[in-house]
Amino acid sequence: MSPDSARSPYSASFPLAASAAVIILLAVLGLHRSNLDAQTPAPNQLTVYSPQTTYSVPLLDIKGQTYVGLVELLEPLGAVDARPDGKKYKLHFTAAGGRPEEAQFTDGKDKAKVRGDNYKLPANFVLQNGRGYVPLAAATNLLAKLLSTQAEFHAAGRRLFVGAGVERFTLELRTGNPSRLLIGFPSAVNPTIATEPGRVRFTFRREPVAAAGPDNVTYTDPLITGASFSEHDGIAELDITGNAPLMANFADNGKTIIVTAAPAPPPPVAEQPPPAAATQSAPNAPASAQQPRQPPTPRFFVLIDPAHGGSDIGAAVSPSLPEKDVVLALARRVQRELASRGIAAALLRTNDAAISLDQRAASANAARPALYVALHAANTGRGVHVFTALLPAANLSPKSFLPWDTAQAAFLDLSGTVAGSVAAELDARKLPNTTLLAPLRPLNNIAAPAIAVEIAPPSDKVDDIASASYQDQVAQSIAAGIAAVRAKLPEVRP
Amino acid sequence: MTRRIVVIFAVLLVIALGLASYAVYLKRKVARDEDLAAQQQLAMAPSANGPPTPVTLYIASDSDATLRKSQMSVVLPEERSERARAVLRALFGSYLQSPSPHPIGAGADVRDVYLLGDDTAVVDTNSVFADKHPSGVLAEELTVASIVATLNANDSKIARVKILVNGQERETLAGHADLRRFYLAGNIGQVVKDLQ
Repeated sequence: MSPDSARSPYSASFPLAASAAVIILLAVLGLHRSNLDAQTPAPNQLTVYSPQTTYSVPLLDIKGQTYVGLVELLEPLGAVDARPDGKKYKLHFTAAGGRPEEAQFTDGKDKAKVRGDNYKLPANFVLQNGRGYVPLAAATNLLAKLLSTQAEFHAAGRRLFVGAGVERFTLELRTGNPSRLLIGFPSAVNPTIATEPGRVRFTFRREPVAAAGPDNVTYTDPLITGASFSEHDGIAELDITGNAPLMANFADNGKTIIVTAAPAPPPPVAEQPPPAAATQSAPNAPASAQQPRQPPTPRFFVLIDPAHGGSDIGAAVSPSLPEKDVVLALARRVQRELASRGIAAALLRTNDAAISLDQRAASANAARPALYVALHAANTGRGVHVFTALLPAANLSPKSFLPWDTAQAAFLDLSGTVAGSVAAELDARKLPNTTLLAPLRPLNNIAAPAIAVEIAPPSDKVDDIASASYQDQVAQSIAAGIAAVRAKLPEVRP
Repeated sequence: MTRRIVVIFAVLLVIALGLASYAVYLKRKVARDEDLAAQQQLAMAPSANGPPTPVTLYIASDSDATLRKSQMSVVLPEERSERARAVLRALFGSYLQSPSPHPIGAGADVRDVYLLGDDTAVVDTNSVFADKHPSGVLAEELTVASIVATLNANDSKIARVKILVNGQERETLAGHADLRRFYLAGNIGQVVKDLQ
């Protein structure tokens, strides 16, 4: 019997009807949405600045209120163990270098307990699909309480400053010919700079900067006419306007930006006199002008790929524990453990984004990591399974052109070395583990040493897979295993 | 919003809801018809005659993450691809029983096994097999390895195996195991050894 013979006659009409329904639904939603958009801007993300890290958290609109996920808010700042218990949501949080704190919330109630004290939320707590959400307006106080530090929230810009707080910049106009505007920061900054005639714009995505004085300043200067600071959607922007083309220079090791007039464009080449000795360079010319560009410095960094995300939840470890959440928490722990061993690590996914397998491989290969680590979770077996790619041995050089489907074949030896080292560290911590070959995507497509780690519950209690103590032990094993073989892994030129 | 927009909105909403309900109805009907076709297909499968023949199955076990060799007696058809299908259905049968050492989705089945040349088998499974398969690297690897190893153990000429779902190629079995590739029995042999 051919594969097509079982196809129903309704198969042809179904897509047509479904397409029509979808088009009309989209039209209806689009009409409705356009009216909503005209009334209130859709909330999207909150940027949190702390001394350790800067990160963004997605915001949700629930019943007209803006909410933020508790786990997403706290995880980058420490170890979080949160689980629903009926209508209650119990949270244990330990800040990096801090002591364990507890909080408890109830679905549909605005009363909570934080560090043993009663705490009233500005709106009801929401529990959805096992995840806890608090009103955005409560995020500042909650972080301050759980971290025992100060926090400041800029509501208009959706920027939240924790710990060291806001870094305020100063403006100083030095008149002259041409005039110069000095923008001073407490520490070095690295904004994106965009210029257009009579304007230069600095966009700060990671720096906790804010104006020390008024947001808008007007100057009565023939060149520089004003400065305007604004915050929106988790970023800050500083616009400098002038009557002529402007340019920006960094000084004081990046702590000062100097805005002044851009030099006039050079005259056309045809009008320049021919050089006296075109084939000889001037002996006293500045060395920097003639030196070839230095090759970039090799670097060592690990790319951690928390599997799945978005509508792809991966394995349902338990009804309230999707794989995508378990591995994101584990990925952050591994990143912290690697950092504590002096190894830089980046996460391929930092939120609940859906990324296809091919996109993961393409992103990983473009990033050129020294090592790729995919993280998975399931409830098959017990303990930890460490995988390397199941590929036929191939005599390929890592420097040659690699076929997409078997790119990993050139790195199997190094991948096996890392897997063995991680397994040894798991053994040392008495965590049951197995090292296996696996036909796992996108491991086959990674052009770098690569392993995958799948964690299963440590005991019959499935929810223990998300416990802080178990995940910490696994993360420490992975990080220690990588650190032990770091010298064998090649650093990569960016 | 003006009254006119409200009316248009309401009419479009009613139409959309109506079409959505119809789409759901059709989808369920298609699923019912596919189940019926699958049952008819099973009923039309050539019946095997003759005495039961011992076959070797590689049975996966989730509890201890192993793949173990097991013997079973199955009545086998004469034709080579039908024999391969019968062996795989015996393997699936052991996973579908309760309690199962390695549960797969209820209703999972092998629609056909196609032999390409002497050494390549293309196993066409039904959509239930992939749609309801437990997700996980190890869970999916155990399934793939048991299929390939079982085929090779009962027909040593089968050295390459490709798994299709409902006649189509899929990216993965249930989010992890690669189904776009041909599996080599020699490679799977190493996995089987590691999983003993």
